[in-house]
Amino acid sequence: MVRKYIKEFLWTHKVKYILGITALICSGILTLAMPKLLGYIIDCLEKRVVSQSRIAWLTGGMLLMAMAIFGLKYLWRNLLIGRARDLECYLRDKFFSHLQTLPLKFYQQKKTGDLMAYAINDIGAIRRAFAFGLVSLIDGVIINSSSLFVMAKTINPRLTLIGLAPLLVAVVVIFKIKNPLRRSFLKVQAAYANISEKTQENISGIRVVKAYVQEEAEKKKLGLASFQRMRVMLDYIKLSAIVGPTVEICFGLSFSLVLVIGSTYVLDGLITLGDFIAFNTYLGMLQRPVRHIARIVEIWQRAMASSSRLDEIFLTKSDIMDDHPVNAKERFNGALEVRNLSFTYPRTESEVLKNISFKLEAGQTLGLIGPTGSGKSTLINLLLRLYPVPRGHIFIDGIEINDLPLATLRENIGYVPQDNFLFSASLNDNIRFFSERFTLEEIEAAARFASVYENIIEFPDGFETVVGERGITLSGGQKQRVSIARAVIKDPSILVLDDSLSAVDTQTEAEILANIKAILKDRTGIIIGHRVSSIKHADWIIVLDEGRIIEEGNHEQLMAKRGYYYQLYQKQLVESRLQEVGENG
Amino acid sequence: MRQKEQNTFFRVLKYFRPFIGLVCLAGFLALVVNITDLAGPYIIKIAIDDYIVGEKAGGGIKLIGLLYFLSILVGACSNYFQNYVLNSIVQQIMHNIRMELFSHIQHLPLKFFDRNSSGRILTRVTNDVESLNEMYSGVLVILFKDVFLLIGIVATMLQLNRNLTFLSFSVVPIIVVVTFLYRTRARRNFKRVRALIGRINGFLAENISGMKLVQIFHREREKYREFKQLNEEYRRASIFEVALSALFRPSAELINNLGISILIWYCTPRVFASTVEIGVLYAFISYIKKFFGPINDLADKYNVILSGNVSAERIFELMDYDEGLERMESGRPLTELKGKIEFRNVWFSYNGEDWVLKDISFTVNPGETVAFVGATGSGKTTIINLLSRFYQVQKGEILLDGVNINEYRLDDLRRRVAVVMQDVFLFAGTIESNIRLNNEEITPEEVQRAAEYVNADHFIGKLPGQYEAEVKERGCTLSAGERQLLSFARAIAFNPSILVLDEATASIDTETELLIQDSLGKIAKDRTTLIIAHRLSTIKKADRIIVIHKGRIREMGKHEELLAQDGIYRNLYEMQYA
Repeated sequence: MVRKYIKEFLWTHKVKYILGITALICSGILTLAMPKLLGYIIDCLEKRVVSQSRIAWLTGGMLLMAMAIFGLKYLWRNLLIGRARDLECYLRDKFFSHLQTLPLKFYQQKKTGDLMAYAINDIGAIRRAFAFGLVSLIDGVIINSSSLFVMAKTINPRLTLIGLAPLLVAVVVIFKIKNPLRRSFLKVQAAYANISEKTQENISGIRVVKAYVQEEAEKKKLGLASFQRMRVMLDYIKLSAIVGPTVEICFGLSFSLVLVIGSTYVLDGLITLGDFIAFNTYLGMLQRPVRHIARIVEIWQRAMASSSRLDEIFLTKSDIMDDHPVNAKERFNGALEVRNLSFTYPRTESEVLKNISFKLEAGQTLGLIGPTGSGKSTLINLLLRLYPVPRGHIFIDGIEINDLPLATLRENIGYVPQDNFLFSASLNDNIRFFSERFTLEEIEAAARFASVYENIIEFPDGFETVVGERGITLSGGQKQRVSIARAVIKDPSILVLDDSLSAVDTQTEAEILANIKAILKDRTGIIIGHRVSSIKHADWIIVLDEGRIIEEGNHEQLMAKRGYYYQLYQKQLVESRLQEVGENG
Repeated sequence: MRQKEQNTFFRVLKYFRPFIGLVCLAGFLALVVNITDLAGPYIIKIAIDDYIVGEKAGGGIKLIGLLYFLSILVGACSNYFQNYVLNSIVQQIMHNIRMELFSHIQHLPLKFFDRNSSGRILTRVTNDVESLNEMYSGVLVILFKDVFLLIGIVATMLQLNRNLTFLSFSVVPIIVVVTFLYRTRARRNFKRVRALIGRINGFLAENISGMKLVQIFHREREKYREFKQLNEEYRRASIFEVALSALFRPSAELINNLGISILIWYCTPRVFASTVEIGVLYAFISYIKKFFGPINDLADKYNVILSGNVSAERIFELMDYDEGLERMESGRPLTELKGKIEFRNVWFSYNGEDWVLKDISFTVNPGETVAFVGATGSGKTTIINLLSRFYQVQKGEILLDGVNINEYRLDDLRRRVAVVMQDVFLFAGTIESNIRLNNEEITPEEVQRAAEYVNADHFIGKLPGQYEAEVKERGCTLSAGERQLLSFARAIAFNPSILVLDEATASIDTETELLIQDSLGKIAKDRTTLIIAHRLSTIKKADRIIVIHKGRIREMGKHEELLAQDGIYRNLYEMQYA
């Protein structure tokens, strides 16, 4: 997948790449010719065979060549390295738009931090391969092969062989060290992650740490982690520091051999002094590519690994099909029927919903209550088709839910989530949820409907006020009402409140409930609650426990049963009564 | 600002003091590296002038070659050890800074943690220390060598030929101007790119966590458009970064060549006149090339230094923050505690403006169980926070066994008073390690006894590995009720004189609920217990009930006494049983 994208990208930018690589090759060749020219100038100087003005001209030529190299380098840097940045953005763009198609299941299995690492680190690794990796590869090949060619052909083949022999040792050492080095580096990273985890845990649990006087023990714990990190880091350095000196020693040996043997060649007249100096320079030039070999291989390897990691994501496809939709109306009436619905989450064993059936007329309100993990949210997830829904169990307006176009379905359901997630954007954007199709009047109307209008206009920037990390912090109740406004602005035929009221205190709850009553007047409502108070006014209440309906009926009927619902009501009364009594007394 | 940057820099340097011996060793090794580095061209110069051009007898050249190789060998070895020595100093310093910072954070008051997000504190201990690390090991280590090298080059050149040296450096002003021009622009753009990466990161984080919502609302297209725009903005800044360095990097090389050309032009007539030896010219060309190496890298290093310095500033800022720093070991030791608690006209406010507790006074006798009853936000939780000195009382005083709690040693106080919070925090580790925490004195038997005592052994017995069962990410595999029982076991294992607990409100399945109620009764026995109660059954069992509303004590007494009053409590009770 990633390879396909990269190929596409390379093809689109082929002209720039061809130009860039040409410039790179030219600058490489000119850079190589430079020492030759310098060597010639010094030869001339030494032998004093040419006039001084000719040397001045030659030097001028050398300067011109330097300018040409400058121009070429500027060109290929822009053309090649610049494209690597383009490629990075191109892949990230593809990555994000692919993420948008993936279902909820995917996000429950992957941590946000991990996904971000894909978008930043892995794509970054590919970028590095196409910047430094590509350039050093081409550059290295050119410099190596042409230096060798020049050295062997125009200067002396035997001297070249002698000079090269020790370099092989360097290359061997570099390749030998590569794998241990990589393993060592992974250890360094793991040690760092360990410090990070320990610290994170310590900060999150600081109350327990303080309450049980664990400060010293915690210090010891982190001390060990930090010490461990220091140790593996030094192990890594011990290993990685070998590369440089090894290359130096091998080159030192080469230089010494060339010095001793080359000088006798000069004396014997086999080569000129200028050749000798040029030869030394070429040998020196090889130092950089040889030193880089390990890094180049590493960079390409990492890019390859990252590309397969990214493929893992790119090859994940949504299992929620939107293939054979019937021609449903744009707007539902909102009648909902669930028939013998059982559900098991993909790749798990136990059923989270067991044989659920109920019927809701358009305009009615359903209350769902039960302990955490009883299956309330699962039911809503299925209604929104966030998971593949088994056929023949859920019907809206009599139509099988899988036959409805996904867009129509979700457009018709207004959803208020449990966690009141708001984006760090203006309130305007949060209410219309980044859609351009709502007017300012509609936004204000929705805010009024959710009774958050008064709060918003009190903010210094009104509806333009930015909330979240980069803006002001809203109270739980305010956030709640903004997310209600966000749901009602679409004028949905079904409104779902997914346990959205447990975060607010009882008084705010009562206020919001009063609003919701009005909002739900002519639409179907589903309210999931923890507290009895938030659902007791529903037309029909279902009590779920471990995926089963254990009680159902309206409030009075359930109270009369004196079962789970009744007990729950008693338990929660203390809290709410206190609040009420406190307010009044 | 400049002043501050300098101070930070010197403060960072202070951490080198304990390693002064090793620093000197590294300095010496760096010197050796540089000498051998400089010796190379010099030796070749001798070879050329004396043996090739001078045509001296052939034997000496082998010696010269050997000398050359030896110098490289010594240089390479010194280089390796210099690298290792400096890095081990740097790693040790990193460790020291990290530990100093972490220890400091451990003793900051809860107020600090309320005000700073955990992400921010985490960044100080991890990322910021890391970027200091990069500054030290990546830059200082090399800079150390480079400075010596530059000085060495200049000295050697001066020694060879004074005029040529001055001539060679005639291009330096150009370098300075170009570098300056580049640096200001690069710095500005660098900041922009960094900010944009931050925004892309933020966007991704937010949109990945909010993806469910975006999909439910069917706004994928709108969000994609927003991302595209941001990505494009980043692309432009990033491409500009490339263009800037594409201009600067080769220009340094061009100037380098200019220097060499000038040198040759100048030397030509002098070589012809034999006032300058050709070997000297060769050596100078080599030295100029060597001189430009470090200069070339300067631009890269500059950015690393910049961001390292910013991190250092942040670290020191946190280290210097000492408002309300907790001193564990000063004060009166507290070995035996009977468990008498007395609040005398206590006033408290978190932010210094709104009083959360107003004139609270009550006494709890040793062994008594007192239930606090009140609405959310009435101030119940604050009372337990104050007893363990998590926060400082502003007015009034709290006495334990008749002594102001501020007089006790903080560690002793907290060891005697166990607090069980409503939302139970579990550490990564095993069930056992979560009960005894890091306390080695608590034996496995004691852990088991504690678990049995609070009825936690039932569910622990069902776990794979039982007490050794792994507790994953904040105990997500355990239910709310099970976590609550674990936290009871933890409190009991520490055998406190006073137990303070905040009853969980989360809905818990009926079976566990019964276990919790039962163990609550047991652990409250024989010790002073304060319970923030949410359930009537708990409240009724208490020896005394304190009703708190809006930061004030409204009613206080036994269940029957309160019923006799026509107040909040009676109203509440009647609601329930009417």
